[in-house]
Amino acid sequence: MAFSPASRFPIHPPPQYAGSGVAVKRPREFACFSYDKDHVFHLDDSSLKWYYPPTLPADLSKGSDTFVKHDDSIDEHLDSLLATIQSYEQQKGEPIDAQVVTWRGMLTKIMAAPYDSDAFEMNATLYRGSIFIEENHAFKRQKQEMESNQPRRTGMPSSLMSFWGYKFETLSTLPRPWGETSREYIENRDREVVNNKEQYCSVVRTGFGNSIVCIGGEVDAIWDSKPENPGEPINWVELKTSAEICGPRDQVNFDRKLMKYWIQSFLLGVPKIIVGFRTQDGVLTRTEEFQTMNIPKEVQHRKLVNWDGNVCIKFTSLFLDWLRANITGEGVWRIRRAHRSNSIELFRVEEA
Amino acid sequence: MGIPAAFRWLSSKYPKIISPVIEEKPLVLEDGTVVPVDTTQPNPNGEEFDNLYLDMNGIVHPCSHPEDRPAPKDEEEMMIEIFKYTDRVVNMVRPRKLLMIAVDGVAPRAKMNQQRSRRFRAAQEAKEKELEKQQFLKILQREKGSTVQVEAIETVVKKAFDSNSITPGTPFMDILAASLRYWCAYKLNTDPAWAQMKVIISDATVPGEGEHKIMNFIRSQRNSPEHDPNTRHVIYGLDADLIMLGLATHEPHFRVLREDVFFQESKARMCKLCGQKGHDERNCRGEAKEKSGEHDEKDHAQPLKPFIWLHVSVLREYLAVELHVPDLPFRWDLERAIDDWVFMCFFVGNDFLPHLPALEIRENGIDTLTAIWKDNLPVMGGYVTKDGHMDLERAQYILSGLAKQEDAIFRRRREVEERREASFKRRKLQQQKNGNGRGGAQDSPLSSKGRKGAPEANGPPPGMNLFSVTSIPKPPGAITHDMVMKGRSSVDQANLANKSAASVLKSQIQSMMAAQKNKEKTDGEDPKKDGEAATDGDAAATKTPPSALGKRKAELMEDDATSTGASSDAETPAGSGDEGPVDTVRLWEEGYADRYYEQKFKVDAKDIEFRHKVARAYVEGLAWVLMYYFQGCPSWEWFYPYHYAPFAADFVDLGKMTITFEKGRISRPFEQLMSVLPAASRHAIPEVFHDLMTHEDSPILDFYPEEFEIDLNGKKMAWQGVALLPFIEMPRLLAAMKTKEHLLSPEDQARNEPGKDVLLISDAHPGLYDDITAHFYSKKQGVPKFKLNPKRSGGLAGTVEKIEGYVPHGSLVYPLQRNIMPDVDYDRSLSVTYHMPTSSHTHKSMLLRGVKLPPPALNHSDIDTVRHKSRNSGRSYGGAPLRNNGN
Ligand SMILES: [Mg+2]
Repeated sequence: MAFSPASRFPIHPPPQYAGSGVAVKRPREFACFSYDKDHVFHLDDSSLKWYYPPTLPADLSKGSDTFVKHDDSIDEHLDSLLATIQSYEQQKGEPIDAQVVTWRGMLTKIMAAPYDSDAFEMNATLYRGSIFIEENHAFKRQKQEMESNQPRRTGMPSSLMSFWGYKFETLSTLPRPWGETSREYIENRDREVVNNKEQYCSVVRTGFGNSIVCIGGEVDAIWDSKPENPGEPINWVELKTSAEICGPRDQVNFDRKLMKYWIQSFLLGVPKIIVGFRTQDGVLTRTEEFQTMNIPKEVQHRKLVNWDGNVCIKFTSLFLDWLRANITGEGVWRIRRAHRSNSIELFRVEEA
Repeated sequence: MGIPAAFRWLSSKYPKIISPVIEEKPLVLEDGTVVPVDTTQPNPNGEEFDNLYLDMNGIVHPCSHPEDRPAPKDEEEMMIEIFKYTDRVVNMVRPRKLLMIAVDGVAPRAKMNQQRSRRFRAAQEAKEKELEKQQFLKILQREKGSTVQVEAIETVVKKAFDSNSITPGTPFMDILAASLRYWCAYKLNTDPAWAQMKVIISDATVPGEGEHKIMNFIRSQRNSPEHDPNTRHVIYGLDADLIMLGLATHEPHFRVLREDVFFQESKARMCKLCGQKGHDERNCRGEAKEKSGEHDEKDHAQPLKPFIWLHVSVLREYLAVELHVPDLPFRWDLERAIDDWVFMCFFVGNDFLPHLPALEIRENGIDTLTAIWKDNLPVMGGYVTKDGHMDLERAQYILSGLAKQEDAIFRRRREVEERREASFKRRKLQQQKNGNGRGGAQDSPLSSKGRKGAPEANGPPPGMNLFSVTSIPKPPGAITHDMVMKGRSSVDQANLANKSAASVLKSQIQSMMAAQKNKEKTDGEDPKKDGEAATDGDAAATKTPPSALGKRKAELMEDDATSTGASSDAETPAGSGDEGPVDTVRLWEEGYADRYYEQKFKVDAKDIEFRHKVARAYVEGLAWVLMYYFQGCPSWEWFYPYHYAPFAADFVDLGKMTITFEKGRISRPFEQLMSVLPAASRHAIPEVFHDLMTHEDSPILDFYPEEFEIDLNGKKMAWQGVALLPFIEMPRLLAAMKTKEHLLSPEDQARNEPGKDVLLISDAHPGLYDDITAHFYSKKQGVPKFKLNPKRSGGLAGTVEKIEGYVPHGSLVYPLQRNIMPDVDYDRSLSVTYHMPTSSHTHKSMLLRGVKLPPPALNHSDIDTVRHKSRNSGRSYGGAPLRNNGN
C-alpha cells in the first residue's frame, strides 16, 4: 500500500479556539431509517421508540443472560446511511448538498479532540464532491481488544456495564406512544428481552462554519411525536446511564462525561438527555432530565471541569475546512490521531 | 356523584384541600364608570391556569332561578345573568389556553332515572308553591279589602320559572346554546385576554352529562402525545364529586372551583314572594317595591359570594398517606390506590345507584370501606380496580368485609339516634344549653376534638372561617316534614307576636293545608301508607330549601340540618316526634333483611336467590359507574332496575360473575324529555307528544303519575326519601312516540337531532387561525375536515370540520330580542365543528411522562396526623383482614 506524505492539523490548547463564535446550523432531519430486531434495514421509522419513565428502582442486570447483542465485529461501513441518502436523492431528483457525510460517532471524536486524548482512525473518500468518512474498523477492533485486557477499576465486567445502558433504554421506552400502549406492556418492560440490534437512525443536515455536513446517528427515543412538517425541530430524547453522584469526585467525572453527552446530542439536535443514575452494582434509582442546550453553562457554573462547547464547535469547523482543502483527489484517505497527540494526520492510503 | 355531605366530609377530614380564591374586582369610579379587571395580567392567585372547564348546568340553574335575588324577568335576562356569572368565573381563573363550556346533553339511561325522580318532585313542589301563592294573594286581597295592591302584587309575583326546562331538547336550551355561542364570540372580539384562548362549546345537543363530556375531553387529550402533562386544569361546578372526577383524570395539576356555599352574608334575606329585601316570605306584606330608598337593591348590592379552590393535588397528598399499605407483595401504586378509593366512594353515594344501607357518609362510610380495603389489600393480590375495570373477586373481599360489620352498623346507628333524641328531649324540657351529649360511636375525623365526638362536632378547618357552624345557613323559613307531620302544633308554637297580619294568615293557610293532607293519609300502619305519608311530607315541605329544585344546595343543607344538632323544631328529624312515621323495617332488630325485602321489594323473605339477583344488578351498576368515570359511558341503556340497594351480605360469589356492557342506543332529546319530565312540565316538550302524557287512552299514561309515593326509607327528611316512580320501559315509550313523530314541525325535528361540539377562536390566535383558514377558506382548500396540529394549536388535539355555510369575518348577531348586547359588524372570531380525538385504547390511570408534581402542601405534622388517625379510622365495627377469619 502506498502512503502519501501526511498533512497535519494541529490541536492547540482550547483557549486558542475561544472568542469569536462560528455559525452553526440547527440540525434538521431529512431522512431516517430503522434496523429491526434482526438488524434488518428498513427505510422507515418503524423502530422509533417513545420515552416513558421506568419503574423505580430497577435491577439493570436483570436479563443480561438473554441479551440479544448486535455483532459489531462486522464492518457495516456507511452502507445504511448511503442507502438512505440514495433513496432521498431519488425522491428529490437531485443530490444532497453536503460536503461531508459521516456517522455521528466520527464527528463526536473530532469535536471532543481539544479536550480528549483518545486515539482514533478514520477513512475518508471523496465522491461527487462530498467527503464520506467512516471509522477504520480494524483500528477500532484493536483498540477495543487492548482496553478489554486492561484491569478495571470496578468489579463489574465491562460487558455487563454496557448491558446496563441498553437495559435502561428498554426500561424507559415504548414501541408506540403512551396512549396506544397497554398497561401490561408498560408495567412489564423489565421482562422485555433487551435487543440492541434494533435501532432508529436519524439522518440530518447541519453546518459548521462553511461546511455543510450530513450526519447519521441513532436516537434513543422521542418525547411526543414527529412534527408534521419535515425539518421542524424534533423532541428527541437521549438516554444515558451513569453511576450515582456521591461526592465532588463523582461530580467531576460526571461533568466530564457531560461533554460527550452534549456533543452527541448537539450533533443530531437532540434537545433532552435523560440520565438514569444507578448504584455501583447496577440498580437504577432515579432519573434526571438535562436540557442539552443548558449543559455547557451548567458545567461552567460548577467550575469543576473546564470544557467549552464553543471551542468544540470552532475546532470542528476549522478542521472541516482543513479537511476539505486537503482531500483533493480520489482514493481512500486516512484521518488519524494518535493517543495524546496534539495533531490530526491526514494521508492517502489507497489510490483510486 | 351526589353524595350528600361529601364535600363537607372531605373538607373537614382533609382541611388543606381548600383555599380561598383571590379575586380581583372591577373598579367603580366616582362617576360610576366601571373599570374592568385586566385579566391579561398575572393571576392574583399566584399561579397561571391553562384550561378552564365549566360544568355549565352549575351556572345555568342558579342564574335562572337564584336563591338570593329576584328571578330574572325573562329568558333574555337569564342569559345576561349567565354571561355575567360566567365572565366572573373566567376572570377568576384567566385560562391561558382553553375554555370548555359543557352543558348537559342527553344522559345515559342510568342517570335518567334519577333525573326523572328529581323532575317529578320539582314539578310537584312547583305546583304546591304556585297554589300557595295564589291562596296567599287571595287572602291578601280579601284582608286589605281593596284592589289597591292587586296590580302591584301581580307584577311582583311572577309565575315561577320551570327549571325542568333546563333539559336537552327544550326551546330554552336552544336559546342557551345560541346565547353562549354569541357571548363567546363577542368575548373573542372584545377581550384581549381571550385572544390566544380556544373555546369549546359542547351544548345540550351533544350527548352526555356536562362533567363527563369534560372528562372525555381530558382523557382524549391525555392520550395525545403532545399533551402537556403539566397542564393546569380548573373545573367549575357544584357537584362535590368533581373532585373525584379530578382524581380520576390522574392529572395532578387540577383544581375544582366553586362558590363557597357556606359563606353567608349577614344581610337580610330576600323575600321569594315579592323579591324585596328586608323580610322573608313569611313576613311579606305584598307591597310594591319602592322605587328608591333604603330597600332598593342597588343601594344595598349584596357582596358577591366568595369562591374557593379544591386542590386535587393536595387531596392526592392526603390519600398517599391515608391509603398507604406497607410491605405489599406487589408494587405500591398511588394511582391505582386512588382509583380504588374513588371506587369505594361510589358505594356511599352516586347518581346512578341507591347507596348501600350500611354506608352513610356522615357515619364515615368511606373510612369503613377504606379500612377494609387496607386490611385486605395484601391478601387480595392487587388492586380492586384497573383503569375503570373492577376485579370482581377482589370486590367480593370488600363487600364481605362490610357484610361482617353490617348488623353492628345498623345497631349503632339506632343507638346514636336514640341518644340524639333523648338528648333533644332533655334539652327541650330543661331549656338548657345546646349540649353535645350524643357521644356517637363513629370515628371522628378530627380526633383532636375528642375521640368519641360525633363527626358532626367537627370544627372548621384550621385557619379557615369558611365552615364555622354558626355561619351555616339554616333553611330559611323551613317547614319540614316533621312540622307537617305534627300538624298545627309547630305553627301554634311559633312566635306570632312579630308577624304581620298577612304572615299570620299565611302561616295558618300553610298549616291548614298540611293538616288536611295529614288527615287524609294518616290511617293505617302498613308500609305503603307509610310511604304515602312521606309523600305528603315532601309535598308540603315545598318551602324547605332541600327541594329537588335546589338539590345540590339541599345536600349541603341536609348536612347542616342534621349536623347542627337539631336545635330547633324545624330541624328535628322526622320520626323523633310522637307522630312520626314508623320505620317498620327496623334495621337494628334481627330479621331486618327479611322485612326489608318483603316490604321494599314485595318479595318473599325466603327468596334468597332474589336478593342475590338484586346484588348482582348492583354490582353491574358499580361496574357501570366505574367505567363511566374512568373510560366514558359503557352503555347508554343500562340502568339499575330497583329503587333500593341490597345489603352487603347479599353479595356472594362475585368472582363467578362476568359483566359486559353493550354500548346501546343514545336517546334522542325528546325521548329523554318524555322519560324524565312529568306531565306538568310538558310545555317543554313538543305538543304532539302531550297526549301521550295526559290522555286517558295513551298507552304510556302509567309513566306519568300525578301522585306518587315517597318512601322515607329510614331517612329523616322527606326529600331524602325514595320516589317510587314506575321505571320507563323504553320499547313502549319509543313505540308510542313513533306514532307521533311524523307530526313534528321541522324546527322541532331539528331540535331532536344530535349536535356537535364547536370550537371558537379569535383571528389573533397564532398558528391555529391560519391553519384553519388555509384548509377551509383559501383558494386551495382541501377536504372540509382536518386533524389539528397540536404544535400549532397550542396543544389541542382533535379534528375540526367546516361548518356548512359559515364564512369567517362576517357579522356577529346578538341572538335575543331586546339587544341588551350589541351586534359586531366585523366578527374576528372563527367557528368550526370540533371532534375530540378518539382512541380504541383503554385510558390508563397513570401519571404522564414529564409530569412535575407540585411542591408538597402537607407538612410533617399534617402527615403524622393523617397517619395516626388512619390507623384507627373505619374500624369501629371491626374490620380485620378476612384472612384471619376465613372467607
Ligand atoms: Mg352535571
